[in-house]
Amino acid sequence: MRKKKICMVGDFSVGKTSITQKFVNNVFSEKYLTTIGVKIDTATVGEDKLIVWDVAGRDSLSPINASYLVGASGVILVADGSRSSTVGVLLEIWQTVTNRIGSVPVVVALNKADLDGWQIDDHSRALLDQQGWDVFATSAKDGKNVEAVFKKLVEIMNCKES
Amino acid sequence: MSEIDKLSDNEEQRQIDELREILAGENAGQLAALKQRIEDIESRTRDVSEVLAPAIRQADSRDLVASLQEPFSLTLKQAIRSEPKEYAEILYPVMAPSIARAISQAISSMVVTINRTVESATSVESIKTRIQSIRTGIPYGELALRQSLLYRVEHVYLIERESGMQIYEITAPDTQSLDGDAVSAMASAIQSFVQDSFSQDRSAMLTDFKVGEHNVWVAHGPKTMLACVILGDAPEELKGDLYSALYKIRTDYAVPIAEFDGSIDQFDGLGDILQPLMQSRLKDNESGKNRSSRRNSIPFIIIGLALLYFFYQWFTHNNKLSTVEYYLRQAPGIAATDIYWKSGRVVVEGLKDPDAKAPYGALEAYGIDRELLEFRTIPFRSLEVDMELQRFRSELTLPRGVYLSVRNEMIYLYGEAPIQWLNSNDARIRQLAADSRLSISELSASFESVSDLLRTSFAKSDLQGMRMTSAARGELTILEIGGTFEASKLALMSALFAGSRWVMVTARESEKGSEDSISNQSDTPVR
Repeated sequence: MRKKKICMVGDFSVGKTSITQKFVNNVFSEKYLTTIGVKIDTATVGEDKLIVWDVAGRDSLSPINASYLVGASGVILVADGSRSSTVGVLLEIWQTVTNRIGSVPVVVALNKADLDGWQIDDHSRALLDQQGWDVFATSAKDGKNVEAVFKKLVEIMNCKES
Repeated sequence: MSEIDKLSDNEEQRQIDELREILAGENAGQLAALKQRIEDIESRTRDVSEVLAPAIRQADSRDLVASLQEPFSLTLKQAIRSEPKEYAEILYPVMAPSIARAISQAISSMVVTINRTVESATSVESIKTRIQSIRTGIPYGELALRQSLLYRVEHVYLIERESGMQIYEITAPDTQSLDGDAVSAMASAIQSFVQDSFSQDRSAMLTDFKVGEHNVWVAHGPKTMLACVILGDAPEELKGDLYSALYKIRTDYAVPIAEFDGSIDQFDGLGDILQPLMQSRLKDNESGKNRSSRRNSIPFIIIGLALLYFFYQWFTHNNKLSTVEYYLRQAPGIAATDIYWKSGRVVVEGLKDPDAKAPYGALEAYGIDRELLEFRTIPFRSLEVDMELQRFRSELTLPRGVYLSVRNEMIYLYGEAPIQWLNSNDARIRQLAADSRLSISELSASFESVSDLLRTSFAKSDLQGMRMTSAARGELTILEIGGTFEASKLALMSALFAGSRWVMVTARESEKGSEDSISNQSDTPVR
């Protein structure tokens, strides 16, 4: 079994931890997020064991801790589909990621798809299309596309390696 | 060889050369140039130098490392030997931080050890330890150290430093299962957090932290970390072992670590390096220590029991001696000067009257058999009252009516004795009385015995008028026979009591014709 480190990154309150918890078995308390800025879980996808680093969200006062990204084989960019600003932030975060660890496999999760009236605006859609990323409308609440996001990332990572 | 043969060979060679020229044609010159290039060492060196770097880049790194390992090693050794100073200067920036860290670690370990020693030296445990030390003879320091070594290494994780990915894990049997990947990642994250939070220059290292009963020690290398989950308090020396293992891993697995991509296929044999870190001195050892302590205490229990036995023996022997001494002191006719144990018997030295009887009966009541006593005494005659009394009783077979008694340390022989007994024992009585050991002032002849004696020689009518009275004469009480008798009868009477000092005939001879019958005028008439 191969082990792969992946990072969940995105703006604050977009649902990174909720998506992770929906997918993996919780091991550590969420206190880690507020104390040291990262929470780690593990999950198995096929022949791969994922070590999921749920990195604390970027806020107006501090950027994400880029040192937590080192060694990551892939990244899941998480945004809140109901807040277009969080989609815009993804580009800044992606810039941070590539600066630190280079261009690694990535998928985008537009979360909170279960909310009434959830609809990504055209501008945001255009931004994402320009990057050529795989984008999933996810819902941590009902589990929509959560597993698909992780599976897609693993697929991309394995393709890249082979 | 003939001339014809030589001509034939030359012709053959010429034909071969012609054939070669036809085959090579225009390439002959190029072949010659190639041959020259190969034979020219300088040219060949130039060619190799051009392809060497790309060839190394393209080579299989493992094969290349294996091939170059020995020559590089020899070269390095030779170079360092020949130019040690230059190499020291080159390595200084690399080695200095590690050396400083090692020294710091050693000092930290020493301080912790001193703290523990001081702490243990001032606690109740230390008193117990000191007592145990005195009891077992094991130095105090060694015992204190043993007590501080109760620990068990349960997990060891080799972690890639930057990514936090676990490279290798080794777990002690029968321990709580942990997700090593998550623990490793978390340890790495905490390390990053510590660096960001506590250190300006990011040089701070998370070296240990505590989780419940578990201590987690982390040894840091340039590319990897070694995290060790320990139950209990391990000795500081374990940190040295961690760094030694880390150094060996860095040396032996430099390439696999650099190429680590989540697969552990290239880390065969890593377990052999990590296995010695799985040290344990658990409560089994503690209980073993207790067992050992109990084992150690067995000789003391035996010695204690032996001492108890010897004390009991000493007490009972002493007690028997005291008992024997007490009863011998009470026993008349025995004067013990020394009483002691010898060869399992109580030896009594001193003086002993042959007539004295040892108080065997009383001693047997205390479990002292007569066989236990051995008298080594000199015979003597005891003048103790009890001995004299005993002796008188055996010498003088006392008749009825005669008694021996003791008053004021004086023996009295008293009562009314038959005249025959008095006469026959008179010499002995006289002798005893002469030694002032016997008073016979209250001893006298009985009227009955004297009367009976008189009746054997005289008719009843002859004794009419006879009187018997007792009177004290000197030390004796004498029975006096008075009255008036015929001369012949008076002579017979006097002869009858002649020689006896217990009876005195005071009767008178009667005048002729005036003989009257003997009348009993004594205080006690003759019956």
